[in-house]
Amino acid sequence: MSFSIEDSQNSAPGSISVNKLGAGRKGPDAGQNAAKRLQTELMQLMTSPAPGVSAFPSADGNLLSWRATIEGPDDTPYAGLTFKLSFEFPSNYPYAPPTVLFRTPIYHPNVDFSGRICLDILKDKWTAAYNIQTVLLSLQSLLGEPNNASPLNGEAAELWDKDPALFKTKVTDRHRDVEDE
Amino acid sequence: MPAAVASHWRNRRRRIFQSVFQTEVSLPTPHSTPSVPFSEQGQPFGGPAVVSHEHNHHGTATTSAAFFSQAATQEHFDPLQGRVRAAHAPTTSSLTLSTILAQSQSQFEEPLFPSLATAADDQIAYDRAWHVVTARIALPASATADDSFGTLAPDSQQSPRAFSSDAEFYQALDSLNHANRVLPRATHTDDIVSWHAQQVRAHFAQHVIPLLSGCVDENEDRLGADIHGDAEKVGDADWEKKRDRYESHMVTVMSSIRTLEAALRLYFYGLGMLMRGFSRATDGNSADRAKTDAEILATRFRRDIHALVGISASDQLMNSVRVVLVRLISHVLGIPPVYDGEATSRPPRPEPPSQDNIKQLAARQRLHELVEQLYNVGLAGERFQILFAEIMDGMMSNFVKGAYAGVWASPGSTAFSATPNTITLTAASSSSSPCIVSLSDWVENHFARLGFEVLSRISPNPPSPVVTLSDVKTYQSLALGRLAALRIGELFDIVLAWPASRGALDDLRATITTSARRMQLTSSFTRALQTKLLHPGCSTLEILQTYIAIIRTFHALDHSKVLLGHVEPTLQLYLCQREDAIRIVVTGLLASPDEVRAMRKVAGTANWTRENGGQRDAIVRAPFITPTIPGRSATAPSTGRRRGSTPEANLKKGPAASTGPYIPSSSNLVELALLLNDPANSRRAAPDDEDLDWNDMNWVPDPVDAGANYKRPKSEDVIGTLISALGSEDVFIKEFTSILAERLLGDPARFEQELRVLDLLKRRFGEAALQSCDVMIKDVQDSSRLDAAIRRTGHQNKLERQVLVTPAGPTARQKGEQNASQKETQYQARILSRLFWPALDREHFLLPPPILEQQKQYEQGYESLKSHRKLTWLNQLGQTRVELELSDRTVTVDCSTVEATVIYAFQDDADSSGSDSLIRRSEDELYNQLQMDEDLIAAALSFWTSKGVLYRVQPGVYAVAETLAAAPEDNPNDSTASAIATEEGSTEGTVAEESSEPRKPAKLTVGAKEQERRAMYWQYIRGMLTNASVSMPLGQMAMMMKMLITDGFPWSNEELQEFLGEKIVAGDLEIVGGKYKLVKK
Repeated sequence: MSFSIEDSQNSAPGSISVNKLGAGRKGPDAGQNAAKRLQTELMQLMTSPAPGVSAFPSADGNLLSWRATIEGPDDTPYAGLTFKLSFEFPSNYPYAPPTVLFRTPIYHPNVDFSGRICLDILKDKWTAAYNIQTVLLSLQSLLGEPNNASPLNGEAAELWDKDPALFKTKVTDRHRDVEDE
Repeated sequence: MPAAVASHWRNRRRRIFQSVFQTEVSLPTPHSTPSVPFSEQGQPFGGPAVVSHEHNHHGTATTSAAFFSQAATQEHFDPLQGRVRAAHAPTTSSLTLSTILAQSQSQFEEPLFPSLATAADDQIAYDRAWHVVTARIALPASATADDSFGTLAPDSQQSPRAFSSDAEFYQALDSLNHANRVLPRATHTDDIVSWHAQQVRAHFAQHVIPLLSGCVDENEDRLGADIHGDAEKVGDADWEKKRDRYESHMVTVMSSIRTLEAALRLYFYGLGMLMRGFSRATDGNSADRAKTDAEILATRFRRDIHALVGISASDQLMNSVRVVLVRLISHVLGIPPVYDGEATSRPPRPEPPSQDNIKQLAARQRLHELVEQLYNVGLAGERFQILFAEIMDGMMSNFVKGAYAGVWASPGSTAFSATPNTITLTAASSSSSPCIVSLSDWVENHFARLGFEVLSRISPNPPSPVVTLSDVKTYQSLALGRLAALRIGELFDIVLAWPASRGALDDLRATITTSARRMQLTSSFTRALQTKLLHPGCSTLEILQTYIAIIRTFHALDHSKVLLGHVEPTLQLYLCQREDAIRIVVTGLLASPDEVRAMRKVAGTANWTRENGGQRDAIVRAPFITPTIPGRSATAPSTGRRRGSTPEANLKKGPAASTGPYIPSSSNLVELALLLNDPANSRRAAPDDEDLDWNDMNWVPDPVDAGANYKRPKSEDVIGTLISALGSEDVFIKEFTSILAERLLGDPARFEQELRVLDLLKRRFGEAALQSCDVMIKDVQDSSRLDAAIRRTGHQNKLERQVLVTPAGPTARQKGEQNASQKETQYQARILSRLFWPALDREHFLLPPPILEQQKQYEQGYESLKSHRKLTWLNQLGQTRVELELSDRTVTVDCSTVEATVIYAFQDDADSSGSDSLIRRSEDELYNQLQMDEDLIAAALSFWTSKGVLYRVQPGVYAVAETLAAAPEDNPNDSTASAIATEEGSTEGTVAEESSEPRKPAKLTVGAKEQERRAMYWQYIRGMLTNASVSMPLGQMAMMMKMLITDGFPWSNEELQEFLGEKIVAGDLEIVGGKYKLVKK
């Protein structure tokens, strides 16, 4: 709980980060920039929430560790289900993507059994223009439209096309509500 | 048995007493003489009765221990020698004095074995000689009458039966003196001088002290009678009483002095006799030595007597001396006497008396005499010196306080023009301050002089300088310290009176030289601030005005701003509690030149009236006397607020002061606008390398109490200090933006003042910070251009008949009956960029149809000009000029669109519903018709009622007042129906977002903002409970909110709890085990 937040009322966040980057300082400052950015993102999330997704920093007060929730979109096998995710942000966020994991067990072609996700924008396609909300919305759409070309779960990728009914059963079987720690 | 016990006890007591006081040495003939017990001196020969020694000791030991011990040591000296020699002295049997002397002189050379008989003879001879001498110089035994001393001629001391002539006396004295030689075998010898001293002590204790106390008591009684008598006599002048008191004290002192003089004359007579004897008897080479010995003895005796007198002087006597001295010294120093009673009229200010002031000269003369007399009788001892020092100390305080309290303006105008930029830190260079100059002069020429005169008279060695030059310097610095303390006490009033109090600041600057004094200044000023300014009774405007004065005053006092920095925190903390502080500052900055001029005029007339009212003083410290220095306006409001600092102000404030603080009608901080426009203030942009300016002759080192990161400020920078005091720049800019938005949406006039303020603020804060303000102004400017463009196209396309009116042109008038009124309505819009404007709420209501028509046309025109853009109308922000033609008058009103819409609703009725029906509307009808918020309707109705256009028929129902007559029913003629002639609406369109919550009507904008905020907080809480943790306790939630919300989370835990409680009632939350949890749906 000793995480301190820099007073962000002085100036526009952008100008400060530019100054600090220009001065060649990294490390803790970079972490502070990430925290500031995340704070701003949180504000955006709260003021203009997207339906079906939400995210919030974890209860231990570490801004670099978030928890998120995605509701399964209608007209997909995941309809009516809720999935918890964890976001771990690097200290140089947003210049590097966050590590996103499904904490709720999910049966999905692009998610393995430990919750790891295969999504390009979380890997090489990441840009600083993405944010938590866009990532969550991408994941939400991924639930409805999996990328079966590069599956992490081959069985699911096969079943998605061959046997939607079985897929749906597997999804329901696998889904389990996780309680928070 | 009891008697034995008593005597035993007495013996013990005596032993103890003797062990302390060594009584045996003062006895003239020691009792150990075996054969002839020597009787008390003088008694066997029938001389004057002398007080017993026992009594002597009791009497004097209590009063003068010092004197006693002195005498004792003295005695050890000669008699001892005498005793030692006496053992070897030759024997004689002669009985007469002369033979004894002759024999002893002749046989001195041949030491024989002593025999007891000759020893007894010697002793007898010695005793006789002793008797002769003591009988001669013995003091009168009975002295009761006042004049008993005065009338005592030296001869009268001689007992008539005394057989001794002068020659015999001196012979006897000589033999006593040289008892070791002439009467070597007289074993019990004593010192005649110490005997005399003993006598004197006894006499003093027994006779003089009662007389002295008699002097005092008598006067005390008289004084008491006076006081009681006065209490009965009504209307007796205080002055008389005081003078009587002084006079009676003077009488006490003088009679005491006379008594003592007489007594001392008596004592010194005896001493003189002895001295003469000493110096006469000796011959040859030993004469000089004897003479000096005698002198030493005399000095010693004199000193002892003085000590005796000084110590035995009663407190009452010293008190009388004090009263007399105070009186005389205050005359000499030019300080009018201070009375402890209530003064009906203020005494005149003390000022250094001129050289030819007769009263002063007389007082000085009298003082000299008195001091000399006191010295002569021995009253000028240590106690007197302490007394004198105390009095002088008090006099200095009185003078400083009396002469300079409230005197802030320099007496001479020449000193006033001293360059305010030079910092005079040393007392030597402080010559610019007239107070200090005059004070130093007073100390040197009056204070130190008097001290010198008095001290040189009471000091035993006059040649040595009693008051040196360095002493004078010390006095001066002491006086300056007093002045500093005085000014520090007055500082708050000085601040309020700025700039008329510049002279006082000069004083302060020159005297505040040590860091301790600086500390004292800041702490005492902070205290004054807290008690006098920072309380709910002072408006924020007052506080800010005072703050400005503080900034300028302290800058004049201390260019380094360190002092200001010490004082400010209290003020800043307090100002943070005042929510309107920033708004007042911003509006002050934006005050138009018109307002400034108006205020000047108001101030001018105020001065004028005050002057006419005989309050000439007010004009002196009123502002704007010199319009070239507009910054001085800061004092204008504070003129009336000064809290009685100078007597002049007190006298002249009168009725004007009783009306309370004088606040200009604009009640703005117009001073700030003046400052902002002050060219001197914008000169700050000078190069920053002040430290490298080798030619800066005014350079001074940084003050000692400056902090580590201290940076020398360049100018007083009132605005900058004020803004930084109000919190962060961001807050200020935010407030500035919102006020600017209000103004831009308000009057359609040009925004010169705003632009200029913006430019100046940009220089201070930088371009980036004020970017949105730029955009806002550009929006407004673009809008008018766009207006023209749209109107042109509309003119060409549809509105053929529309008259193009210049923006500032007059409103077209039209009769109400003409339905084409909207055709000539001039319609303007302001197009705002949503992102850069502060949040503006949208209020829904239906515009009158003609206006709506115009709006649509405008929208079309806009969309044709700028494709892919849509307008969102904010109807309630518009402004309208309405012309109403009533049956007996035409009313032209500038009002808001809401009000115009409401009054328009009354017109419709007139058009549709026949001629003879009264036009009346109920609030409910209006609500249904206009779909407007009830509160807005009610406000608009009351607006029109106040304008006399509508009147209330019954609660909730209003009708048009066609004539000004009270009863509108009297007017049957409805042919000229009410009409809304013209609407010149400028309605703003933005892309403002709609808030979904129903609005609380009472607090329109604040409520909406608050609702928005609550909704956002709810989002946070939902997000927190969804993602972070399923259930959380209140404390953790509050902490997370505080940590995560960038703008800060102002709620306390209780407020949050209340909010969560609402949500629980609404069914969104539940509490499980003391933790909040979202209700699963």
